[in-house]
Amino acid sequence: MNTNKYINWLYIFIIVSVSSFIGCTKLYDNSYSEFLTDKFNPTEEDIPAIIGNAYGSWVPILNHWNGLWRAQELGADEIVIPARPNGWVDGGIFRRVHEHKWTIDEDIVYATWDRTYYGIATCNRIIYQIETGFVPISNENLYASSIAELRALRAAYYYILCDLYGNVPIVTDFDVEEGYLPQQNSRKEVYDFIVKELIESIPYLSGEHNQATYGRFNEWSARTLLAKVYLNAEVYSGTAQWEKCKEQCDLIINSGAGYSLEANQKNVFVTENQNSPEIIFGIAIDDQYTKGWNDFDIHMQTCQPSMQAKYNLKQTPWGGMCAIPQFIDTFDPDDSRLKDNFMFGQQYASTGEPLKVTMGNLIGNPLILVNEVPDISYSEEIHGYRFEKFEIALGSSNVLNNDYPLFRYADVLMMKAECMLRTGDANGAATIVTQIRERAFKSNPGKAIVTGVDLLKGSKYDYGLRTTSAQTHEGGSDIKYGRFLDELAWEFNQEGRRRQDMIRFGVYTKKSFFAHSPNGDYRSLYPIPRGRIETNFNLKQNTGY
Amino acid sequence: MRKRLVIFLFMLSIGMIFSGMVMAQNTVTGNVVDSKNAPLIGVNVVEKGTTNGTVTDINGNYTLNVKSGATLVFSYIGFVTQEIQVAGNRLNVVLREDNALLDEIVVIGYGTMRKGDVTSSVATVKSENFNVGSVQDAGQLIQGKVAGLSLNTTSGDPTARTSIRLRGNTTLFGTSSNPLILIDGIPGDLSTVAPEDIESIDVLKDGSAAAIYGTRGTNGVIIITTKRAGKGDGSQVEYAGYISTQTIANKLNMLTAADYRQQITDGVRAQSDDLGGNTDWLEQITQTPINHVHNLTFRGGNPKNNYLATINYRDIQGIFLKSYTKRFTARADINHSMFDDILSFNIGVLSRMEKLNGFNGYTYRQAVIYNPTSPVKDENGVWMEQPGAFNYDNPLARLEESDGQSSTNLNRVNGTITLKPLSGLTLKSMLSYSKWNLTGGYYETRNHISTVRAGLNGYASDNTAENAEKLMELTAEYKKSIADHNFTILGGYGWQDFIGRSFFVNNNDFQTDQFGYNNIGLGIGIKEGSTAWGIGSGKTETNLISFFSRFNYDYKSRYLFMASIRHEAASQLYGTNNPWGTFPAVSLGWRITEEPFMDNVHFVDDLKFRVGYGVTGTQPNQIFLGVATLAYGSPFYNNGRWIQTLTPGRNPNPYLRWEEKKETNVGLDFALLENRLSGSMDLYKRKIDGLLYDYAVPTPPNLVSTTRANAGVMENKGLEILVNAIPIKAKDFDWNTTLTFSTNQNKLITLSNELYQVTSDYFTTGYTGEPIQTFTHRVDIGGEIGNFYGFKVIDVDNTGKWIYEDADGNAVNYNDFDHSFENKKLLGNGIPKFLASWNNTFRYKDLDFSVTMRGAFKFQILNFERMYLENTKTVQYNRLKSAYDNVFGKAVLSTDMDLEYNSYYVENGDYWKIDNVTLGYTMRNPAKYIRQIRFYLSTLNTFVLTGYKGIDPEVYSGGLSPGNDERDKFPTTRTYTLGVNFTF
Repeated sequence: MNTNKYINWLYIFIIVSVSSFIGCTKLYDNSYSEFLTDKFNPTEEDIPAIIGNAYGSWVPILNHWNGLWRAQELGADEIVIPARPNGWVDGGIFRRVHEHKWTIDEDIVYATWDRTYYGIATCNRIIYQIETGFVPISNENLYASSIAELRALRAAYYYILCDLYGNVPIVTDFDVEEGYLPQQNSRKEVYDFIVKELIESIPYLSGEHNQATYGRFNEWSARTLLAKVYLNAEVYSGTAQWEKCKEQCDLIINSGAGYSLEANQKNVFVTENQNSPEIIFGIAIDDQYTKGWNDFDIHMQTCQPSMQAKYNLKQTPWGGMCAIPQFIDTFDPDDSRLKDNFMFGQQYASTGEPLKVTMGNLIGNPLILVNEVPDISYSEEIHGYRFEKFEIALGSSNVLNNDYPLFRYADVLMMKAECMLRTGDANGAATIVTQIRERAFKSNPGKAIVTGVDLLKGSKYDYGLRTTSAQTHEGGSDIKYGRFLDELAWEFNQEGRRRQDMIRFGVYTKKSFFAHSPNGDYRSLYPIPRGRIETNFNLKQNTGY
Repeated sequence: MRKRLVIFLFMLSIGMIFSGMVMAQNTVTGNVVDSKNAPLIGVNVVEKGTTNGTVTDINGNYTLNVKSGATLVFSYIGFVTQEIQVAGNRLNVVLREDNALLDEIVVIGYGTMRKGDVTSSVATVKSENFNVGSVQDAGQLIQGKVAGLSLNTTSGDPTARTSIRLRGNTTLFGTSSNPLILIDGIPGDLSTVAPEDIESIDVLKDGSAAAIYGTRGTNGVIIITTKRAGKGDGSQVEYAGYISTQTIANKLNMLTAADYRQQITDGVRAQSDDLGGNTDWLEQITQTPINHVHNLTFRGGNPKNNYLATINYRDIQGIFLKSYTKRFTARADINHSMFDDILSFNIGVLSRMEKLNGFNGYTYRQAVIYNPTSPVKDENGVWMEQPGAFNYDNPLARLEESDGQSSTNLNRVNGTITLKPLSGLTLKSMLSYSKWNLTGGYYETRNHISTVRAGLNGYASDNTAENAEKLMELTAEYKKSIADHNFTILGGYGWQDFIGRSFFVNNNDFQTDQFGYNNIGLGIGIKEGSTAWGIGSGKTETNLISFFSRFNYDYKSRYLFMASIRHEAASQLYGTNNPWGTFPAVSLGWRITEEPFMDNVHFVDDLKFRVGYGVTGTQPNQIFLGVATLAYGSPFYNNGRWIQTLTPGRNPNPYLRWEEKKETNVGLDFALLENRLSGSMDLYKRKIDGLLYDYAVPTPPNLVSTTRANAGVMENKGLEILVNAIPIKAKDFDWNTTLTFSTNQNKLITLSNELYQVTSDYFTTGYTGEPIQTFTHRVDIGGEIGNFYGFKVIDVDNTGKWIYEDADGNAVNYNDFDHSFENKKLLGNGIPKFLASWNNTFRYKDLDFSVTMRGAFKFQILNFERMYLENTKTVQYNRLKSAYDNVFGKAVLSTDMDLEYNSYYVENGDYWKIDNVTLGYTMRNPAKYIRQIRFYLSTLNTFVLTGYKGIDPEVYSGGLSPGNDERDKFPTTRTYTLGVNFTF
């Protein structure tokens, strides 16, 4: 036996072992799906991909489940989600929003807060990354316009928070120290901040209205935003700014940038609407690219399941959301916006075959949508007019392809009209309103004409309760400029804004409609979500909650 | 007898001839038998201290020339080695089977140990004690055999696996709640090897045992040891095979077509519901499966070179059409030893090919809810469908109009080089490489209801995945005894590396269904810009690096000490401040029976007191949680073109570290009355620190409102008892019985630390599914996991409307009740408080009979089927007959109430299951060349005693929403098996 031989083996073994110990203590850091930020050096080519990310919050903020669209519509007087044969009770959330009984724990209270601050944090991060040189922008003009664009975008996000929550913390820094808890700002401070940011940014923004500025903040979309902020200045800051609002509207109207009214309102909302001259700020949506669940699915939320066959939808719609009958009753029967924006009557498959009720107590009956909803806690498939302002293309998936016109030219005109009306020029306002109405009354042009006197009248909306247990008739004639509020409803229904208009006209927390009774003026602000206060003790809850 | 006498005389005469020839030598002959007097073939007979040896022949006889006064060593696998000094020329030996409890070898981390020396809580189940019959995987072999290990078969799906839970819930968002499963030292899963190819399963239960596995040890370690090559000469061939069939364990009692028509006559149901047919939808989608399994094992060689090869084929069908697993596993294990065992090699090769098709539980749901008066097809032979109806598909059409299969290959090669350069020193290097590939395809025809509804015109998907795992372990062990002091020290280094790749394509719009998913390019969905198309691929790399060491010491086997430590890092924590974790353990044992004062206490064979403490970890299951990342995501319309923008992945948390479980275990092992009564008892307390949780952080300034961080603390306390008794042990009759009992108490102590504070003292989890759409469970800080939380109903009124108990304890009518979160209440808990099992084996001569029984007590189940199918308002789906029973003995449920989750559907789940019943008959040496034949009949999931109204009270009790008996669950089955084993 040769022991030495084995000892040699031993040495080899030990050497191999020790060398592998030294070599093999490195953790893998290869990533095949994401960049590790500290190992990533972007080039100029990456700039749009980095800056563009800041716009990515629009679709979630607006359209995702219980997002801004619902926060602006479901507590207002046009739209309701009643209990349906296939559900839609969902723990009472939609009912509570309709009745202004939402709690500080509600998903709808959290959703917009979180998604909007995500957008703000993203703007702050990208501004920081540009300022620190991580994003290499060498061109001075591009540098200035990029920062200005991000500040305008961030101001738009703050506008949403100002509108919904009011007293929110303003955070503009990305590189904050650990454990930093932002201070709360008053609604007026938030308003002032938005105005300041926009005024400072506008000089550096592009004045072009073209493909390159589509869906981005150019000068005109920033001015529209500024006009909207001024329009609501009285609500936000206590001081009305009608003149300033009108001034911004006039700048846009006289810009020569090429914005104009469509001949038909429907054109703004068709599937391929990206070239519409009426759109000032559009959120681009395309089901080949924006494929997120709920990216844009009003059709899924409003069509009954069997109506899949009407549009050959790729997914079975969920059925639920419909128009409040009292609101539909305000329409003039000759107003083409009624049939252009709503579905009612017998529904047919794309093959022409009449559709039937497939659920509930009316199973087997023809699916004829009627302007009647028995109760928020009970309805059948046939109940309630459904929404089709946004064209539902044949073969749509669960995401509609239509871009979402967040700001449109008709809105600028109507803002101007409202300012004129409120500052004593009712006839001037009426001219504009008539202009808007003309495209809706082509069959009966005489009805398009409104006078200053008309605009000073109350609302046609017959407010009051309409449930199985309570029926009241409060009417709307006492609402100041109520007729103008009606005009806004007819033109801008389903556009995720009704709450804001109702608040400005003092109606939101005062009137009853469908199953809703007023539940306190403090309901004109949403509460700060419980969890956000609990993680930042600097925040004080909005009054009343 | 005569034959033996002849042989004896023959041997004797040969012996005399030899003894006459060589004077200095002595010829010994003899016969070796087992305790049942059966001859043992191939027993090694060696003259001690020499290489002189032989083996016994087919009749157990041997002859050997030895020096006078020599000692013979008789060794045989599975038997206790005996040394006997030769006196005379005849030496007959009875070898005792190696079942002496204390000498039993227990597999522990990176080595083995005598059971008597073990100081931690380790359970061992040998193959002879496994459950018999058509088992799903290795887990089902030891169901009910290990105290504290809850193994549940919660699905009858032939592709499903057993769910495992050891000593309570251990994680909220960790890597998984599964234990580390090692197959011959290499990580795998319960079906890496065929159940028939397993020799023993060891379970490292407590922290002091599992700590040597560091970050992967928190949920315990299950060590599967496959059958090994024999060390002796000679060869052996074994065949084991069985056929089996299954039936559904229990059927839901739904309304039939006749019931529908009666209801129409009674005016309870609309006439339009009668579609003219009479269909038992469940029967339409079920089949009587015929399963067969074959296992062939070859062993052979000599002490220097030996091998084992097994081939296993299993063809298991499910009770539902088109569900199956077909698996072929081949394994070879080759050993070579050289230089007088100084250097030895082991090579193992495993190859597993599998084809399988699972079952979509949604189809089962459809079979349950589909109108029983609906014919399967209309008069034109077209499937009856209602495309306009929501969540309502013809179940048989779903199966017939779709086609799918996954096929996987697993190839594993491992090698171990063992060097014993000095006495007591063992250097080992183990390398392993496994590669797993999957290809899967799925097709829905142009007539499939989903493609019809979506206008897809046929839909195909094709996917592949590949995982490669490399493992290297270098260990050095040194054993030394100085007088009565025995030391063992082990040190090692481990490197594990994982690379996963995947790829998929979806397409639609096919001109023909002929080629299914096999010609995916034929579809024009991609070209046409359909939204159903998709392409994706991904790759992940992770590694795990570890250093470990263990020290064992004992004094006269009386005082036992063990300490171990592991220092480990994994790439999941790359970029954090400290990716390395250290996991120490220490344990002590006191063998009271080795004390001099016990010398006269003869009825106690063994009494050992153990105490241990150990730290283990659980790693996060996502990578790069600690660093800032940017990933392409959110699309952006940039100057007329869509681009992908760069989105941060999360709030990075550089403080992320391992979840750490600190466990104390106190145990007692005993064996009394010549091992007729033995068992063990363990008390444990495990505290998990740094539980990962998505902590709420302020937004602003954070990007998202939660950050994954460690802060939670959870505790599990429990008791485990195992008692084994042999009440009867006679020549022809044995009765062996084992009882296990365990209980566990769980508590979430806190979810906060100095950096992260939870914002509320509870969180909700679990989901009812749509349309009820609410959470099912609530976890309170300071409370236990698994609490059902919902509305509490205490009665119904005369119209059948719920009467609730509100938050203040008042009875409230349905119409007045505020269905708010505040009015929800604790309705029970889904985790059994007690688990017990009782296993019995009887042997009468060559007949054996065994019954294993197990049960779980004190827990609740949320019966989803009743919650959804007893509602009388939903008219579009079929209902349970029990929907028309009086609720609380008062009235049938009102048709005006929506579906809801309330206490009426939370039932007690207590059950006692007669699980595995086996009757076997063994024939020894029935014919030339055949050593043994065994026949058996066996049933699994035989009978359940329970008050639970659902299909099977054995529901999944892991995770954060235990006890949810969901609608789309593949029902469990009862299995009948007829099997045979041959040994050649």
